[in-house]
Amino acid sequence: MSELDTDVFGSTSTTQALDVPWDVILWNDPVTLISLVVRVIRKVFGYSKEKAETLTMTVHHEGKAVVWSGDKETAAAYCVALHGYALGATIQPGK
Amino acid sequence: MSEPFRRTPTAVVVDLPTEVRTWLIGLATDAGTEVVEVGGATNRRLLGPIDLTADHDDPLLELQRQMAVEGPLNVLVATAMATEISEDEAEQWIRALQMVLAAAAARFDLRTEDDVASLAREDHGAITTLQAIMSLLMDALDS
Repeated sequence: MSELDTDVFGSTSTTQALDVPWDVILWNDPVTLISLVVRVIRKVFGYSKEKAETLTMTVHHEGKAVVWSGDKETAAAYCVALHGYALGATIQPGK
Repeated sequence: MSEPFRRTPTAVVVDLPTEVRTWLIGLATDAGTEVVEVGGATNRRLLGPIDLTADHDDPLLELQRQMAVEGPLNVLVATAMATEISEDEAEQWIRALQMVLAAAAARFDLRTEDDVASLAREDHGAITTLQAIMSLLMDALDS
């Protein structure tokens, strides 16, 4: 849990809590084509073909991969976008 | 048989046998039925919580996700008999085909490639046929 910060104007913020990155986890699936996963990662995140292929092979070989990290709201939006292609994806606080 | 999918400047020409189209409609309809069965395997697979730290997702997020699943399946059912579909409809077909595959994975509790390989011949054939159709459509759409 974060501590409250007080800025020079006397207002408080929970910057630490807000700054905790959230990971978008993409999970392996035995019926999903590798080519589809590469295509969707490129489409959703705008990654290069090389980066999308690397992430896809990590998912394939290790069962999952962190495909994006950042603020929770955006992570959830990306997760919904992946679900739009029926890919297994979840979000969780990053380490 | 000619190419099942051929891209034109404005659309994708679909040349699938009628029995394949009918089969796809049935699969998409079944997946659409299964996905709204709360607590069912397909519902959990496609609409389970996305936030592993929470008991359930935000209701708005749940609604967005349900629409994201149902929309493509409805497009596939509505356009499966068409000889030509728009690029957007073709993209919805890809989503829907993947949802049908995911529904099958949930229904048969497929977790590994060995699980897929051990399926009955008919079920295994259905999955590989769906994958082949999707691959051909992606090739046409991305060409």
